[in-house]
Amino acid sequence: MTPCAHADPLRLRGDAVAASQGTSSPTGLIVLQGEDARKPWVEAEGLVWAGGGSSFTGDVLVLTVRFREPHGYGELRAGRFVLATGAVRPVQIDGAYAIGRAPWGSSVEAFGGLPVVPRFATRSYDWVAGGRVAQKIRLGIALGLSYVQRREYGDIAGEEIGADVAAAPLSWCDLAAFASYDLLNPGIAEARASAAARSGAFRFELFASQQSPGRLLPATSLFSVLGDLPSETLGATVRWRAAPRLEVLASGAGQDVAGGAGGNGWLRGTLKLNEQGDADLGLELRRVAVPGAEWTGARATAMLPLGKGFRYSSEVEIVVPDYPDGRGVAWPWGLSALAWRSRDGWEVGAAVEASSSPLHRYETDALARVSRALDVR
Amino acid sequence: MRLGPTHVLPFALLLAIGLAACASVLGIRPTSPSHPFEHRAHVLKGISCVECHTGVQTAGEGGPLHLPTDATCIGCHQKPHDDRSCLGCHSEPYVRQAVELARTNLRFTHSQHTLAANGDCVRCHVEVTEARPDAPLPKMATCFGCHEHRDQWTLRDCDGCHVDLAGSGMAEGILPDDHVVHDGDWIREHGARAASERDLCATCHSERQCASCHGEGTVPALPARLAFDEVRLPGLHRAGFAARHADEAHADPGLCTTCHTESSCVDCHTRLAVAPGTTTRSPHPAGWLTTNGGEHGTQARIDPVSCAGCHGGAGEQLCVGCHRVGGPGGNPHGPGFSSRKDEHHDLPCRSCHGVGS
Repeated sequence: MTPCAHADPLRLRGDAVAASQGTSSPTGLIVLQGEDARKPWVEAEGLVWAGGGSSFTGDVLVLTVRFREPHGYGELRAGRFVLATGAVRPVQIDGAYAIGRAPWGSSVEAFGGLPVVPRFATRSYDWVAGGRVAQKIRLGIALGLSYVQRREYGDIAGEEIGADVAAAPLSWCDLAAFASYDLLNPGIAEARASAAARSGAFRFELFASQQSPGRLLPATSLFSVLGDLPSETLGATVRWRAAPRLEVLASGAGQDVAGGAGGNGWLRGTLKLNEQGDADLGLELRRVAVPGAEWTGARATAMLPLGKGFRYSSEVEIVVPDYPDGRGVAWPWGLSALAWRSRDGWEVGAAVEASSSPLHRYETDALARVSRALDVR
Repeated sequence: MRLGPTHVLPFALLLAIGLAACASVLGIRPTSPSHPFEHRAHVLKGISCVECHTGVQTAGEGGPLHLPTDATCIGCHQKPHDDRSCLGCHSEPYVRQAVELARTNLRFTHSQHTLAANGDCVRCHVEVTEARPDAPLPKMATCFGCHEHRDQWTLRDCDGCHVDLAGSGMAEGILPDDHVVHDGDWIREHGARAASERDLCATCHSERQCASCHGEGTVPALPARLAFDEVRLPGLHRAGFAARHADEAHADPGLCTTCHTESSCVDCHTRLAVAPGTTTRSPHPAGWLTTNGGEHGTQARIDPVSCAGCHGGAGEQLCVGCHRVGGPGGNPHGPGFSSRKDEHHDLPCRSCHGVGS
């Protein structure tokens, strides 16, 4: 007999990873998620890591408490988390975020906090604050306007307004876009758009982006004063399910990087070797040709179940730069891994990695991981 | 030489074997000995659903799954063609898994629905005859055919049907069919898609999934680093990314700032002893800095983020030494540069323009 649906009040997962060449090895991660079974409107989540090596270090990546109004009219998050909404770029903060929603599709968001300084480092005086208002209208269209201000060392480091839109007017097509405008050094800081259509085995996506690196830097940085040489991209991606187990993805884009024309493209095929989908082969070819960064790469992957919870996986890559400039004519990389997963939440994996790069003529690394997931009811 | 039937036949045979092998490998011809239960044949014989799924019409949220057993089959098929389990071949194992997942993760009561549907099970289970893992269960769109749930969708109030979507780590394993499905080049696409509906993402994804890539100091939690054996996981930092990261950054200036701050570069380079002060090797090519300026000015305009990665903060004094007002380096501002900042008091203007300049 299967019990009826219910949430697991407490989830715990621990991972320990060791690498022979790692600078903070071994590394341990602990994820803890909790929900009050009788008050499902309160949740808490934490993710911390600690690493050894030459000196002991660690950090808290997530530590949040989330309160939800039982019917969804409002929500409050507080603690350490990644803030991202509308055209506001993701930023990890120690702070709070609140959203209020109305049944007619309006929502108001507000946030504020201190940008995270890694590894418990001392903080200078700085903060980030802002908000967003949004409205959903017919045909699945959502429109939003956002504002964010950042301060660093007491000086203003960023002030942007943004607009975003998402729409799914028909069951087979949808689009999403956002743009942020820098109010300090007036101009578009970043804009991205994506429109997709699906038909049978095909999905076709058109995408475009513009980003101005000088405006993406904090305005307190000396390098933000160099002016505006934006990079622009226009491209398309096609996904084709060529056969029940074979998927092909192809993408190509033209780029204008600070006045220099270029482009990039890749082709990726994934073949599942069985109906369960736990064995597959993958092949990817990639070409990047932007002035100053021109290279060709190929990558192959394989994942094969060996039975009794064991799984073998392998990944190889070779990148050939057009202009080696003393960095080596090719940068090969390879990994072979063996992993085992038990039915009661244990996972163990080990791998050997070898590579040649501009930094090291030859390098090998041994990796190991032990994980355990627990659901406490 | 003329090709005769004796030559063509082996080739045709080889071609047929090759195509048959491809059909198996590509999944065109399933290799599994089991196959979907013949629902259609039973319905055409006039057998109602509840004759096999006994008691489902009055079922509540808990209790048995109401899936038939071999004993149910033998009730009618009194002379089975062999002594193996009927459902070992005449059903797919994924059907039971899907039903168990639904029971664990969905709040649903059949008894409330069978009455409203006048006992017409196919009204909801419209694809029950299809041979797909998700076919036995109705799609969300089917639920929305009667229950609009527009308010719940707007308010992100999924708890009425779904149990702890975010906390369970998407244990249902069922991706939605509509525009929020994660398809194509999702790593690149997700930023634009999430912008307007970040709270929709949060209905399934927990905070740690965002923090694994975005934010400061998240390197130990990167999926590509942590799950090194999951070679099919997508990601920007897969395989030999460390070798090509400078070229990747150059090919898409500003992209790195989506997750990294300008201090990320120097943090890592210092740890690996490839930062100024830890090595005597210059990362800059010949002609970078000459008496006429050299290449550094042009490159700094194209990718100022990379410059700030090593020369930010106190390192900016290196630039100010030449580019201060009246200095030999000249005006570093590009054409059309404008700023609302106070050039004598605000950072970074005051570094070169300070009071009295």
